[in-house]
Amino acid sequence: MLAARSVTFGYERNIPLLTDWSAEFSRGELVAVTGPSGRGKSTLLYLLGLTLKPTSGEVLLDGAPVSHLHDRDRARIRARRFGFVFQDAALDASRTVIDNVVEGALYRGDDRSEARRRGRELLEQFDVSVRSNARPGQVSGGQAQRIALARALLGDPDVLLADEPTGNLDAASSRLVIDAMRNHARAGAAVVVVTHDAGVVEQADREVRL
Amino acid sequence: MKHRPGFGAIVAESVRTATTQPVATIATMIMIAGMCTAVLLTNGRAVAAENQVVAAIDDVGTRAIVVRAEEDSGLRSDVVAGLSRVEGVEWVGGFGTARDVENAAFHGGARAPLRQVWSEDLSVLGVAPPSRDVAATAWLAADSLSQLGFAAPAGAVRNIATDQTYGVGGELHRPSYLSFLDPLVVAPAATDEPGRIAVLVVIAADPALVQPLSAVVQSALEGVDPSSVKIQTSQQLAALRALIKGQLGDSGRSLVALVFTATAILVGAVQFGFVMLRRKDFGRRRALGASQRLILALLLLQTSLVAAVGAITGSAIAISIMWIVGDPLPNPAYAVALAILAVFVGALASLLPAIAAARREPIHELRVP
Repeated sequence: MLAARSVTFGYERNIPLLTDWSAEFSRGELVAVTGPSGRGKSTLLYLLGLTLKPTSGEVLLDGAPVSHLHDRDRARIRARRFGFVFQDAALDASRTVIDNVVEGALYRGDDRSEARRRGRELLEQFDVSVRSNARPGQVSGGQAQRIALARALLGDPDVLLADEPTGNLDAASSRLVIDAMRNHARAGAAVVVVTHDAGVVEQADREVRL
Repeated sequence: MKHRPGFGAIVAESVRTATTQPVATIATMIMIAGMCTAVLLTNGRAVAAENQVVAAIDDVGTRAIVVRAEEDSGLRSDVVAGLSRVEGVEWVGGFGTARDVENAAFHGGARAPLRQVWSEDLSVLGVAPPSRDVAATAWLAADSLSQLGFAAPAGAVRNIATDQTYGVGGELHRPSYLSFLDPLVVAPAATDEPGRIAVLVVIAADPALVQPLSAVVQSALEGVDPSSVKIQTSQQLAALRALIKGQLGDSGRSLVALVFTATAILVGAVQFGFVMLRRKDFGRRRALGASQRLILALLLLQTSLVAAVGAITGSAIAISIMWIVGDPLPNPAYAVALAILAVFVGALASLLPAIAAARREPIHELRVP
């Protein structure tokens, strides 16, 4: 479903971070990307997520090259087919929890009230019991990451990309996040997780080392 | 299913963003409001004063050409119909020699001059056209009614010389350019019953047409003894009007440009600060599927909406101050144009910050080192 073909990328000219790198990520599998810090794990995630363009090589989605499409088309793919979980949740502190969860609905052009209904279901599913008008500053780190996971899964994405999603979580929250990602993979999505967490690697179908 | 955000959703998101960023929103609003207030209280006031002065000059009769003819000059009412059809002529009226009349109800009272009037458009005077079925009728201006002792526009006046009586048809409306005929009493005459004219008044559609129309009027007086007529135009007033028109407003233009530029710089700085403080938000938006164009649209719309509220508030404050102080108010078109310009200045000022926000790379903003 999602593949990298001979991808080369570097932030500085002549200093590539990834060189001629290839991999495939299939529907239904949870893949853990591991490796020492500074090897380009997060960079790989953002290349796969079409927010960075490879210097050479290509990212393929359902066999079609997508990494060099126009910004508008890449944004549309991100909105409709990808879900992102960031390293520190990256919630908007000025918005309510539910507003954070439904943010992606705007970019997809989805109905906002329907998105809010679905968002509340996901928050309940992830055991986030906060008032709907609570702000991210009023929730714990574990709850924040589960809110971010709800935001990522709201559009039922074909590809879920997660960057250290359990990095700062307690064991219970980690467990809940890993289970949610596994369940999403089982439902037919490709899930790629950059992680240092042995618990995530243990639950993954496959490990890719950088 | 839709694949892109609708305009309504973008507007709603812009409003939500503006309301969740009160500092940037209020700062921008105050600056735009201040700009509109400053412009209206300076240039707006000057433009309003200019319009008032020009209107006052127009009231005096910058568009009038007045021909005064002696009784034996040969100037007849036939000329009225011809001049009425000339392009650029707004109104023509021919007035006969003044004959003293008094209130028919009592002898020896105050007198007023009655003139026969010929015109293709008597509605300008609020006078009904003459009818063969109705006896001779006179129409009186408010001051004439008062002078002759009429409590209401009803009754009759009598020509002192001929003893002919005229029923009072009603109160006439005297345009400002006929003020030199006060106190005005007229008896409408049918255009097919020509008579001698003592005063011919031609009103040009525009002050700039007074000069060319004077030549036309002169040529229409063919057959009239030139030594027995005197043509008066308001060319000096028209020249004064042309001199004033635009001068007062123009004088404040550089100040307006300065205020606009300063506001644009300040709004741009506030918006740039807002974008820098919220780098992570724009990175997140991009990663979650917002295109660069959408980020740009969101920010421009947000600033435009805030600027619109600021412009309305600032204009309302300035107009209230002018109204309280008793200054002349600028016309609505000026205020609307200023508000539109203020919104444009706000949007333009936020263009560079919006481009900077749209170009944020999510990995640089979202990755924790």
